Amino acid sequence: MSSHSETGKFHYHEPGLQHQFEDMGQQEESVSIGMWMFLVQEIMFFGGLFTAYLVFRSRFPMAFAAGSNHLDAFWGGLNTLVLIVSSLTMALTVYYAQKSNRNMQVIMILLTMAFGATFLGVKTIEYRDKFNHGLVPVQGWNKRVPADPNAEHETKPCWEVDHNAPAVEHPNPRGEFQFADCSLAKLAEGKTPEENFLTAAERIGYYSNGQIDGNKFRDKVRIFYYLYFVMTGLHALHMIVGLALMTWLLIVAWRGSFSEDYYMPVEMSGLYWHFVDIVWIFLFPLLYLLGRHFMHGG
Amino acid sequence: MQDAITAEYSGPPKLNYLNNGFTLKSWLLTKDHKRIAIMYLITVSLFFMAGGLYASAIRLELLTPASDLLQTGTYNKVFTQHGILMIFFFLIPSIPAVLGNFILPIMIGAKDLALPRINLLSLYIYWVGGAFTVWALLQGGVDTGWTFYTPYSTTFSNTYVMAVGLGIFINGFSSILTGLNFIVTVHTMRAPGMTWFRLPLFVWAQYATSLVMILGTPVIAITVLLLAIERFAHVGIFDPAIGGDPILFQHMFWFYSHPAVYIMILPGMGVISELISNFSRKKIFGYEFIAFSSIAIAVFGFLVWGHHMFVSGQSVYAGLVFSFLTMVVAVPSAIKMFNWTATMYKGSISYDTPMLYGIGFMGLFLIGGLTGLFLGAIGLTVHLTDTYFVVAHFHYVMVGGQVIAYLGGIHYWWPKMTGKMYSEFWGKISAMLVFIGFNLTFFPQFILGYMGMPRRYASYPPEFQVLNIFSTAGASVLGVGLVMPVIYLAQSLIAGKAAGDNPWMLPGLEWRTSSPPPTENFDVMPVVTWEAYEFGEESGLDLEAARANESVRTI
Repeated sequence: MSSHSETGKFHYHEPGLQHQFEDMGQQEESVSIGMWMFLVQEIMFFGGLFTAYLVFRSRFPMAFAAGSNHLDAFWGGLNTLVLIVSSLTMALTVYYAQKSNRNMQVIMILLTMAFGATFLGVKTIEYRDKFNHGLVPVQGWNKRVPADPNAEHETKPCWEVDHNAPAVEHPNPRGEFQFADCSLAKLAEGKTPEENFLTAAERIGYYSNGQIDGNKFRDKVRIFYYLYFVMTGLHALHMIVGLALMTWLLIVAWRGSFSEDYYMPVEMSGLYWHFVDIVWIFLFPLLYLLGRHFMHGG
Repeated sequence: MQDAITAEYSGPPKLNYLNNGFTLKSWLLTKDHKRIAIMYLITVSLFFMAGGLYASAIRLELLTPASDLLQTGTYNKVFTQHGILMIFFFLIPSIPAVLGNFILPIMIGAKDLALPRINLLSLYIYWVGGAFTVWALLQGGVDTGWTFYTPYSTTFSNTYVMAVGLGIFINGFSSILTGLNFIVTVHTMRAPGMTWFRLPLFVWAQYATSLVMILGTPVIAITVLLLAIERFAHVGIFDPAIGGDPILFQHMFWFYSHPAVYIMILPGMGVISELISNFSRKKIFGYEFIAFSSIAIAVFGFLVWGHHMFVSGQSVYAGLVFSFLTMVVAVPSAIKMFNWTATMYKGSISYDTPMLYGIGFMGLFLIGGLTGLFLGAIGLTVHLTDTYFVVAHFHYVMVGGQVIAYLGGIHYWWPKMTGKMYSEFWGKISAMLVFIGFNLTFFPQFILGYMGMPRRYASYPPEFQVLNIFSTAGASVLGVGLVMPVIYLAQSLIAGKAAGDNPWMLPGLEWRTSSPPPTENFDVMPVVTWEAYEFGEESGLDLEAARANESVRTI
C-alpha cells in the first residue's frame, strides 16, 4: 500500500486505511460526509412521518389531545432524561477515544448501552400499558377482556366521563381499539360560532346528524395512536440498531483499537446516536405534551 | 493496428478488472465499482426485458378496441407491473448504478468509489428488493397502477399491494446508498488538479441526481411503509371514510415521485453532454450553465409535485403556484438544450452510433419537454389529464430521454468497459430503428390523448383503432431495435476487434487508462492540468497515437 504521492512524500501503512484512499485525512473526510448524508436521508425519512402527524393534528386537535392525554408523560419524560444522559456518555466515549483511554471508553460505552436498554425497557412498559387498555390501533392486537353477561349495560353518552373515577377494565372480547371518551369535543358545544374552537374538519369529523358521534371521534383518536406507534416504533428500531452498533464498538474498544490516531468509528456511531436522541426530543413534546392542559376535561 | 497494440504487451495479457480473478466469489464479494457496475448492468437488463414483455402485452391488447387478448383485470395488472418494473427497477438504477458506477470514479481519477462496501451493499439491497418484488408479481401481482393511489390500494384492491410495496421500500435504500456514495466520492476522491469546474458534466449530473436520491427516496419509503401498514391495520390515515386523507397520500407520493422523474432524466442529460461535446470535437458551450442547470433542476424539481394533482381536489391556489413553478423548472432544461445546440454549431461532428443516440435524444426530449408545459398549464391540463397525451409525454421523456441516453452511453463506453469494439454498422441500424420505432409508437398517442382516449383501459371506442395500430406497429419496430444491441454487443465480446485505450480520440480521463481498466483504474495517479472537453494541445493528449487507432472504429 505504500506509495509516493505527487509531492513525493512517503506514505507509510496507517492502521485502518482502506485501499481506495491516499491518506487518513481523505478517508476521515469521506466517512464523515457519508455519515452526514446518511443523517440527511434519515431526516427526510422521519420528516414524512412528522408531516403526516402535523397534517392530522392541525385537522383534529381535540382528538389528538384526547389521545395524547392517555400517554404517560412521566414515562415519556423519564425516557427523555435517559436519552439526554446517554448522549453525554456517548460524547464522553468519543472524548476518551481521542485521549486513547481504553478503560474509560469501555465504561462509557457500557453506560450508553445501559441507558439505551433502559429506554427500550420503559418503552416496553408503555406499549404493554396501551395493549392492556385497548389503545393499539389494530383489530385483535389488544388484550381480550371477556364481556361479563351480568354487568349492567351502560348507555351513558360518550362525553359523560368521570375522570376521577377509579379505572375499570372495559370488556373487549375481540381485542379492538377502544376509546369511549369524547368529552373534549363536547367542550366546544354551546359556544357562539366565534368562540367555537373546533376546526372545520372536526365539525364534520366528530358529528353525525348534529350530534357528537363517539365512534367517529374514536376513529380520529385511532389515527393519533397509529402515528404514535409508527413514530415511536421506528424510533425504537433505530435505538436497537444503535445498540447493535454499540456492541460492535464495545468489542473493538475492548481490544484497545481506538486511539487518537484512529477514532472515526466511535465518532460516526456517536453522530448516529445523537441523531436518534434528537428525533426523540421532537417526538416527546409532539406526542406527550401538546394538549395536556385539556387533561381531566379542560 | 492489432499488431501495434499487441506489440506493447508481448508478455501475458495485462491485468485488468475482468481477468483479475474468475471465481464466483471474486464477483459476488468484490468491492470493485466496475464489477459491481457489470452486475448491475446484467440485472437491470433483465428487468428491462421483463418490463418490455409487459409493454408488448399492453400494445397487443390495444390492437383491437375490445378487451379480448387480456381480461380487464389482467390488463390492470399488466400495465401496473410494466410501470413498477420499468421505473423502480430499470429507469432509476439504469444510468446511475450502471454507467455512473463504472465511469464516475474513473472520470475523476479515483481508484474506486469512496465507500466500496456500501456500493456492494446497495447492489445486494437492489437484488433483495427486486427478488421480493418479482416473487410478489409471480404470486399474483398488483393492479393499482404504479402510483398506488389510495383508497383503492389500501381498501379495495385484492392484489399483493403490501408485498410489492415492501419490495419497493427495500429497493429504495439501494438508490439512497448509491446517491450517498456518489456525493461523497465527488467531494473527496477527485484526483490532483481535478477541480469542480474541470469535472465532466456527466459527474455534475450524477451529483445533482444523487441529491434528489438522498432527499426524495426516504419520503417514498415512509409513504409506502404507511400504505402497507394501513392496508393491514385499516386505521384510516389514507381512507376518507374514517377521517383519513387520500390527497395526503398523493402529496407524499409525488413529493418523491416527481423528483424521481429527474432521477430518471438528469443522468441521461449528463450522458448527452458528454456525447454532444465529444462527438462534435468541440469544447462544450456554457459549461457552468449546464453544470448549474443540473443543480437547479434538482432543487426546483422538489417544488412542483402538485402538478400531478391539478384535478385531484388540491387547492386551486396551490395549483396556480405549482403551475408557475412547473414553467420555472422548464428553464434549466431549456438552457441545456440551447447549450448543446450551440456546442454542435461549427463543430466537427462525427455520426458514430453514440452520437446518433445523442442527436435522437435532443429531438425526442424537446418534444417530451415541451408537451410537459402543456400539462403544466393549469387550464389545458384539465382536458389532457389521464389521457394518452400524458402517457405519450412521459414516454418521450423517460424512453426518448433516459433510455436513449442510456443506450448511447452504453455504446459510448462499451469499448472502455469491455475492451472490445462492436459493429458500427449494426449499431447505427439499431439506433435508427429505435428512433423510428419510438416515434411511431408514441407520437400517435399524443393525438389519441388530445382526442380524448383515456389511459389505463383495456378497451376503447373503435374510432381510435387506426392510431392504436400505428402505435403497436411502432412498438414492434422499437422492440427489434432494442433486441439488436443485445445480439451485436454480445457478439463483440467474442469476436469484436480490440478497441484500444482511446477509440474515439477523446481527452477525458477515462480514455487515458487502458481498456478494460485495471482494478485500481490507473497505473499511476493522474494529475489533471487541462479543462473539461479540451480538444486543443492543452489537453496533453497524444493525438497522433489516438489517430493511429482510428481504423478500429470503422466498420
